[in-house]
Parts: sequence; structure tokens; C-alpha cells
Amino acid sequence: MARSAASASDGPRKRDETRSADDDASTDGLTGPPALSVERLTKRFGDGDDAVTAVDDVSLAVERGSVVGLLGPNGAGKTTLIKCALGIVVPDAGSIRVFGNDVGDGRRAAYADVDAMLEGARNDYWRLTVRENLRYFATISGVDPDSVAARHDRLLDRLDLADKADTPVRDLARGMKQKVSLASVLAGGAELVFLDEPTLGLDVESARTLRAELRRLAVEEGLTIVVSSHDMTTIEAVCDRVVMLSNGRIVADDSVEALLGAAASDAVRVASPDLDAEAVAGLREAFEVLDVDREARPPAVTVAAGGDRLYDLTDALRAAGVTVSDIRTVQPDLEEVFLERTGSDLGAPSGGDRR
Amino acid sequence: MSADTSPPEDPGGAAAAEPGDGVRPDDEPRPATYYHLARAVLYREFLIFVRYPANAIGGIVVSLFFFAALFLGGQLLAGQALADSIEGIVVGYFLWTLSVGAYSSVSNDIGSEVQWGTLERHITTPFGFAPVALLKGVAKVVRTFLTSAVILAVMLLATGTRLSLAPVTVVAVAGLSIVSVLGLGFAAGGVTVLYKRIGNWLNLLQFGFVGLISAPVFDLPWTRVLPLAHGSAMLQRAMVDGTRLWEFPPADLALLVAVAGGYLAGGYLVFQLATRRARRLGVLGDY
Repeated sequence: MARSAASASDGPRKRDETRSADDDASTDGLTGPPALSVERLTKRFGDGDDAVTAVDDVSLAVERGSVVGLLGPNGAGKTTLIKCALGIVVPDAGSIRVFGNDVGDGRRAAYADVDAMLEGARNDYWRLTVRENLRYFATISGVDPDSVAARHDRLLDRLDLADKADTPVRDLARGMKQKVSLASVLAGGAELVFLDEPTLGLDVESARTLRAELRRLAVEEGLTIVVSSHDMTTIEAVCDRVVMLSNGRIVADDSVEALLGAAASDAVRVASPDLDAEAVAGLREAFEVLDVDREARPPAVTVAAGGDRLYDLTDALRAAGVTVSDIRTVQPDLEEVFLERTGSDLGAPSGGDRR
Repeated sequence: MSADTSPPEDPGGAAAAEPGDGVRPDDEPRPATYYHLARAVLYREFLIFVRYPANAIGGIVVSLFFFAALFLGGQLLAGQALADSIEGIVVGYFLWTLSVGAYSSVSNDIGSEVQWGTLERHITTPFGFAPVALLKGVAKVVRTFLTSAVILAVMLLATGTRLSLAPVTVVAVAGLSIVSVLGLGFAAGGVTVLYKRIGNWLNLLQFGFVGLISAPVFDLPWTRVLPLAHGSAMLQRAMVDGTRLWEFPPADLALLVAVAGGYLAGGYLVFQLATRRARRLGVLGDY
């Protein structure tokens, strides 16, 4: 407190320095410090037996311009991790750097380039219009709103909010409000943006639009985005890389393709009306049968038959007189990957009710 | 969004570029200064004030209703005694509406911003929370002065009282008096951040302001260091006796400034400590 009160007389933001550092980074490629660097972060809540370790010795780096998903059930530590990065929660141990600035001590500088849309929060003023919100929060983030007026127009265009620019936020539908909240977070030109459950409570169509916009913003504006969600559709659609959290620890950290690829079993699902008990029994003699679905129309069987074993499988099916109506390799989704790594599914809280 | 690789263009052409056409217009963000911050914060308060006048009007009506009850009831009970002291009552009531306005708008504002999730955004601003909070406080005080001026005018007309209304003197003395209350508002707001329910009870504090405004500063000089008390005595002299700002002893003025600054700083310190603790406990921004 003493520090921040003492430095209250300083200028608002060392934007010029940050700017020039960023300009260097953009010309040199991805050289500068990563957008986010978390080292050995630990945060416990409560004391004694009631203590919950929300984040447990987590280290993580997010490169500039990437879109990273934090995936995990409620209580996995996603929100605590984000709040620590924002300086809203003070960690017990470890450090967080945003574009090289330590959130713990050089707070002002770190704040200039980071913003967040937190779960369940309005994040903006409902009694102001959409545009007034953008201008207000741009200023609060240290940017002269007149200098970004054209950017705001573009942002509103992109998010399909241009018609509503002069409407008070309280008069908008829920999906629109969510988009205004996002726009107000982006209004100040933060280069690292945390989005906590951005599609929560949105209908299918609004969620799809928002996902598409996030992807576009990341690509076109070069934003670094960290999306936290327990909805893997959002994560799969938007993110390059996924960090899976369970009980405050990272259980997986890789690109979406790699995670799905590693989990890609050799499983092949065959559907046929001819798959009676006898045919299945025959398959069991030669193959590892992973699953039998007799309720499916037509009945289906999932068999481990990767690589050349697929030819053996088709031969075996022909020999057994099974006419195949559908055959496909089984594509795992992130939910299954998560299940495989942690033994618990995404819907279940992974301990405590703190997010 | 500043990872902008396009070469600098002439600023005039900025708005011409079509969105999504791959050309990045040269609207490179400029840093906001304290001037921009002040403009944004004050403008927001102004917009809400003019757009939702029902809040302000409601406050004025309630205040006048209480005053009417006080005045008419007092006439029934005290008769001439009340008539003799009516000037003092009007001045005291005016200061009380100012105090309640400043206190509750600051503490309620912090409470609302916690709920809306906008408080964190003001705490994590590169400006730091202090200037933002101070500006918000200034806006609340200006707003309160406007509504209290209406209340004062109605009170004067209704009771036929005459008071000295030298604007500089009244605004300076009353303004400095309620700065101490602003400090209490910040402290209460800070406590609200930590303990949501207690915050509601702290609203009852505003009735305690009556005691501070009527504190016996002549019999008990130490009460002058309490918020409002010394300022209230000075405001009585200014408005009832017509003492002008420069006619007060320098020591009185110095004490007025010291009390204002002291409570404002103290209240802000409590707010800072409370939010720091909230950050440790992880309750800042819990809805």
C-alpha cells in the first residue's frame, strides 16, 4: 500500500516505454518477453484443515499472439490463476510477469497491457451507452479515447454492435451485453486479455458468434488471449493450445492437435445390422474390442485396429459375413483427453468450490 | 493492439480505412493523461446525473420531507424557541444533507462497483486507484452540492429565514467539512469490500452525523478534531453571522483543512488496507 500510495503521483502509464518495447518485438518477431509468464505460482485459501490450495506450484508461459485455453472443472484453479495475473488476488508464492513486468511489484506498468472479462461480472456500466463504456474504460486503461475512436468503431462493427452504439447497455439482450463487456475489455487496447467463461449463459448462436469473433480478433489484431472455460467446444474452436488444470495443477499443456493426437487411440467404430453376438464374439478372438453398442441403430462395435490392423479387421468382417454400413476412426475430444489424464470429467468439481 | 506493423500513415486518413481490409489505419493509441481521466470520471457522473434524474429528485424530496417533519413538529413542540434557532437548524440540516450525500454516494458507489465487477478495473488501472477515487469523490461532492443547494433554497423560502450565502465562503467551508465525511465513506466502502453485510449497517453511520454537526465544540474543544464538528461551527458563523472566509482566524482555517485532509487520508488508508487484505483472501471481485 505504501508503495502504491507513494507512486500515486507518478505519471499514469509508461506507455511510451511499453510501446517501443512492443514495436521492437513486432519487428523482431517473437523475441521480447512472453505475454504472460507464471512461475511456481501457489495460492491457498483459508487456514488449517479448511485450507484449499487453489493453485499449486503452477508454471506457465504464454507467447505473444497465441490463444491459450485453460480447461478444467469448477474449482480447478482457473479463475484464481487469472485473478493472480491481474493482481486482484495476491499469490502466496511464485511470480507473474505480464510482458516482462512483474505484476507483484511494478504494478502500474503491468496493468497497462492486460485486461480481463471475469465470469459472471458485468464489467461495465449498464446505465451508460455502449460507446460511452468503451470510451470510459479505454481512459481507465490509460488510453486517450479520442485517439482510438476509429478503433472503437471497428470493434463495434466486428461485434455487430454498431447499431447499438448509442443504446444504454441495460436495454440490450444478454448476448449483446456479453459482447459489450468484451468490447469494453478490448477498448483500452490491452494486448493480453483474459476471458473467463466468455460464452457462459449465451445461447448457441451467440456463443458461436462470440467464438468466431475471438478467433478473428486474435488473428487480425495479434492479441494474446487466455480463455478459461469448462466448455471444451469454446476451447477447441478458439485456442491454439490448451492447458488443463485439475486441483490447482497443470495436468496437460500442449497444442489442441497434439493433445487430441496423443489421445487418438487406434479405435475404429464399425456399425452394421449384421453385428450379432456371434459376430462380436468372433471379433473378440482376434481383436481388442473396446466397446459394444447394441442399442445403436444399426448396432456398433469399437475395435482397437490402428495401422495395418485395419486391413485385418475388414478381412475379418468380410469373413464373418458382416456388411459394413458405417466405419470410422474414433476422434477423441478434449473432454476424453481430460478424463484420461485426471480420471475425472470436466463437469465434476475437482475439489473445493472455489474457482 | 499496438503490435502494429503497418508504416505510419497520415493521421487525417485514419477514419477512411475500411474495417477488415487489411490496412491498419493510423489510430495508434495515445496515452491518457490525468486530464482525460478527470474528464472521463466526471463526465460519467454527469451523464448518470442527467440521465437518471429520478435518483437526485427522490433524494431531494426525501430530505425536504424530513425537514418539513422536523420544522412543523418543532413548531408544535418548541414554538418560539424553535423560531429563534431556525437559522442554526437550517444551516445544520443543509450540512447534514451534504454529509449524507457525500458519504452514502461514496460508500454505496464502492458497494455497487464491487457487484458490477467494475471496482477491480479501477484498482487495476495504470493510473492507480487513488486519483480515480479522488476524482469520483470530487464528482460526488459537486453533485451533492447541487442537490443540497436546492434543498437549502426550499428551506429558506419555506421558513422565511435569511442567511448569508457568500458563495466562496459557504462552498469552501462546507466543502472542506464534508471532505472528512468523504474519508469515512472510503473507509466504509473498504470494509464493504471485505465484509459485504457489514457495509449495509455502516449506512446507519449517517445518522451519527447529526451528533457531529451539533457537537458542543465550545464546551468540549477536543470535539473539533472529529469529522464535521469544527466545520459545522464555522459554517454556522459563516452563514448565520455572515463571517467571510478571510475573516476566520488562520488557526481555525488550518484546523479545518487538517481535519479534512486527515480523515480523507485515513479513510483512503483503510480502503487500501481493506482491498489489500481482500486481495490476499481472494475476495476482491467475488460476487
